[in-house]
Order: sequence, then structure tokens, then C-alpha cells
Amino acid sequence: MQAAIETRDLTKEYGDVRALQGLSLTVEDGEFFGLLGPNGAGKTTFINVLVGLVRKTGGEATVFGHDVETDYRQARDAIGLAPQEFNVDRFFPIREVLMHKAGYHGISKDEAARRADEALKRVGIYDKRDERFDWLSGGMKRRLLLARALVTDPDLLILDEPTAGVDVQLRRDLWDLVTELNEDGTTVLLTTHYIEEAERLCDRVAILNEGRKVTVATPDDLKRRGSDTITVRTADPAGSLPAIERAAYAKKVRVDGDQVEVQVGDGGATVPRLLEDLQAAGNEVVDLDVARTSLEEIFVDLTKREDRTVTRSSASEAGDGESDGGESDTDDSRGEEVTREGVR
Amino acid sequence: MWSVGSRALFRREVLRFVRRPKNTFMPPAITNVLYFVVFGVVLGGRIDRIAGFEYILFILPGLIVLGTISNAFENAAFSIFHGRWNEYIHETLTSPMAYTEMVAAYVAASSVRGLIVGVIIAGVGRVFTPITVEHAGFLVATMVVISVLFAGLGIVGGLWARDFDDLTVMNQFLVRPLVFFGAVFYSLEVLPPLWQKVLLANPMVYMVDTVRYSFLGYADLVPATSLAVLVGFTAVVLAVDVYLFKVGYGLTE
Repeated sequence: MQAAIETRDLTKEYGDVRALQGLSLTVEDGEFFGLLGPNGAGKTTFINVLVGLVRKTGGEATVFGHDVETDYRQARDAIGLAPQEFNVDRFFPIREVLMHKAGYHGISKDEAARRADEALKRVGIYDKRDERFDWLSGGMKRRLLLARALVTDPDLLILDEPTAGVDVQLRRDLWDLVTELNEDGTTVLLTTHYIEEAERLCDRVAILNEGRKVTVATPDDLKRRGSDTITVRTADPAGSLPAIERAAYAKKVRVDGDQVEVQVGDGGATVPRLLEDLQAAGNEVVDLDVARTSLEEIFVDLTKREDRTVTRSSASEAGDGESDGGESDTDDSRGEEVTREGVR
Repeated sequence: MWSVGSRALFRREVLRFVRRPKNTFMPPAITNVLYFVVFGVVLGGRIDRIAGFEYILFILPGLIVLGTISNAFENAAFSIFHGRWNEYIHETLTSPMAYTEMVAAYVAASSVRGLIVGVIIAGVGRVFTPITVEHAGFLVATMVVISVLFAGLGIVGGLWARDFDDLTVMNQFLVRPLVFFGAVFYSLEVLPPLWQKVLLANPMVYMVDTVRYSFLGYADLVPATSLAVLVGFTAVVLAVDVYLFKVGYGLTE
């Protein structure tokens, strides 16, 4: 089956700034794919290369097998884009805006009118159809961007920060809608800052940083790379716990009076053994809590680690060996701590 | 080239100016009423006939050309620049239309606006003086060519502009001087020989002369040659438009 999006060594340079640095990524047909990354990671640049708003400097990019530059018409016809910015025609009522967009995609006037109504109903702003964009509330504007992306019935729906600044209810409405579209076969590419959103919606996520791919995995896989924290309260101050510190399951142990924090790989599976070891050391457990790793923590760790790697490699490229040696040691020790937490 | 997509974009562009007559059609109508009142009624009797025609009749073709080209230019430049400024031109750019289709739609719509303004000015002129058309086919051909030419130039301007001020600069410092040194208000014959030659470098001279020939049957130059040169210019400008869209000049990063 043809991939919905395939890029190889995609690069984009703005003078000295490298927005995309050899990005290779595949999004399968029918997939719900998330792009995560801090500001400036290259997410929007990546999307804009696909739709033709940014010219790539190097590499290849195809949408359903169509090169985004040589077969741009076929590639763009497959894409519905709800961008981050409100780039909507202010001169016309929103129903006509949607009709125009459908028309640009070769849809006849009558059919365009039918689709515009359908899209507006679907996102819940049909009663505002004769209003102009500027008169809509912030949430309605977001809904309109989605309606405009849907009016051409795309095979690939690209949502760039679709829920930025919207209220909880609208966010959930949008989630339901895009989930439904994905279940009906539409491939969805989502960029977001809300980790919960990616965790809840995406089959796979790619984490980008400084124009590079840090990793691609399912949200569950990513979470498994992190640590859970078991916090135990004991009846009396626990003192030192050498047996637990030596235990294979413990990545890090911290004792503070009657509170013991142990970082482990899988919290649920480790609890019985930890309780056993605590009792064997003569501690009576009165309370217990397991904090699961969040995708957000993994995300922060991965992008931080990437930042350090980039800084280190840039410095060594500069050839300032001796002074880098000292800094490098410091970095490595921090790197080890990250590794012990399971982040690679 | 004239696909469903082009028609949709053409319709959008035409509706934009048709629904705003106060901004698009009223100003040239009022300006030309003033021209005709001042040059026809107030001053007309004091100015000698030129080439055997009353002054108001002599300048009428020039005023029609002026209104047509400036509106064709302004429409294309504004529409493209405003779309870039507010980024809604992305609706067009991210569509599967070919670049030739996009250019065709923008140019056609802006030419239509120019031609409508030309007809309005002729209508206003008719109130002040009887008008006859000596060469109707020539008139239609020339008007279509010059409106397309300036719509095409407007696209270049709209892509080049970085700010709203740039649009004003183009109109004030490029279009307007070409008009006033374009023999709209006088015949080339009244100028010294050197200036007659200098003005031949101004494309406006050919446009005005050809349209004047169409209305009055009088020309300073050879109308067929002028029209051929204008067609050549227009072809070059349209090719430049398509090229600029293709490379994304002013449109993509």
C-alpha cells in the first residue's frame, strides 16, 4: 500500500538556519500520526513543504506517491489542511469561503454549496454560515478551519495545532470528530503541544527537535521508556535501605524520614516485591502511591537530551577539544542519569 | 487553462469588487465627471480644437484608457497583496490548480474590472459630448489587450509589494507619470520633436493613440503596429506572471 506521506532526507534552510535537517518520515495510509516537538522544531515547516507553501532545499517528499513539487496538483488535491494561523478570506461569508475552496479543487458550484453546508453542520457552525470570519468567536474560527479542510473530502487531513487556545468542550468535540474521520479511513497528521492529545488520538508519534527526528513510536512504547515512581509512607522513619538500593528493579531510591521514593520501570509489577523488601527490612507500610510516567515527561527528556547532543556535537565540530572535555564529562554524567531512567 | 478551479477563483475575484462599488466603481465615475466638467464645460471653450476635435472629445479616449488600466492594475495588485498580507492566498496556493490557471483567473477578473470602468467612463463622457466609434473591432481588441496587460503588471506589483505603502508607490510614481506623459491630455504634435521621440518610449502613448484612433479615426502613430507591440508586451508580462507563481516569488518561503 502507498504511504500517505513519505519523506527522505528532507531539508529546508533559511540562510544559516536549518529548519529541517535530513528528515525521513513515513506516515502510513489510514494512520493517525502525531508530530510532537518544541517551538521551532520544524513541524509547521514540514507541513508547509507538503502543501507547497515552503520550497524544500533538498531531499524528497511525496503524498500518496505524488512528489510534492513535480506532481504538486495530485499531492495537493489529496490534502485538507487546517493550519495554525487564521488564514481565511475575510471578504466573504464563511459559507462562500468554503464554496470557493471546494471550487479551487475542481468541485462544481452546486456540489460545492452542498459540501459547504455539510461541513459547517459537521463542525457545528451552520447557523453562522452567512457571517464573515472576523465576526466568529475564537472557537468558531478553529471550527471553520477544520470545515475548510474537510470541504474537499481529503484523503490526508493535516491539523496544525488544531486545539490551541480552545476550551475543553470544543477540544473534545474536535477529538471526537477527527477520530471518526480517521475511523472512516482518512489519514490524519496532527501537530500539537498537548501531549495528552497525542497520547489519546495517535497511533504513532514522531518527536522532532531542531528539524531532526528524535524518535518515532507508539505512545505506549514511548511511555515504556520512562520510569514510574513508587512512593511509600512507613509507620516510622525508614532509615537506610541498602537491600532496596541494591535491588535490580530500583533505578533510584530516595529516603526522606517516613517517605520512601523508588523509581522503577514498571510500577504495578514492582509493588509486591518492594513491599516484601520493605517488610523484610522491618518497615511497616501505611500508605502507597504509584505515579506513572507521562508522555510529557518522556517528551521533555527526549528533546532535552537531543539538545545536549546537538550542543556537544556542534562544540566538537568547532574543534575546541580540551575545554569541551570537561563539559563533556558533565554532560555524560547527566546523560547517564537519563539513561538510568530508561530514556534512550 | 479555464478549469472549474479557474472559474471558481475568477468568480471569487469578480464578486470581491462587484460587491464593493463604493470602493471600486464610484471613485472613477466621480473623478471622470469632474474631469469632464472642468475640461469640457469650464475650460473646454477656452482651449483650441486639437486635430480638428473639441478638446473634451480629444481627451475622452485617454481618460478611458487611464481608468481602465489603473483599475485593472490596482485590482490585481491589491487582491494579490491583500491575500498575501492576510495569508488567505494560501487557499489558492494549496489547491490543485495549475499556476497558469491561477494567473488566468486573477488576470481575467482584474481585466473585467478595468473594462467595466472603461465603459462607465465612456458613459459619463456621453453625457457631456456625443461619441462615435470609428473602428469598433480595433477598440475592443485594444481595450482587452491593455486591460490584460495592466492586470498582468498588477500581479507583478502585488507579488513584489512588501507593504501597503508599496502599492501606493507603484500607483503614484509609476502609473501616474506614465499617464501624464502618455499623451492623454495632448497630441504628440504639440510637443517639440525631441520630446516626441522621448515619449515614444512610453507604452501609454501607444495605448492612448490606438484607442483614440478607434474612437475618432485619428492617430499620431500607426495603430496596427501599436496594437502588435502591446500584444507582444502582454504575452511577455503573462509569461512573467506564471513564472513568478511557479517559483513562488512573494508567495512561498
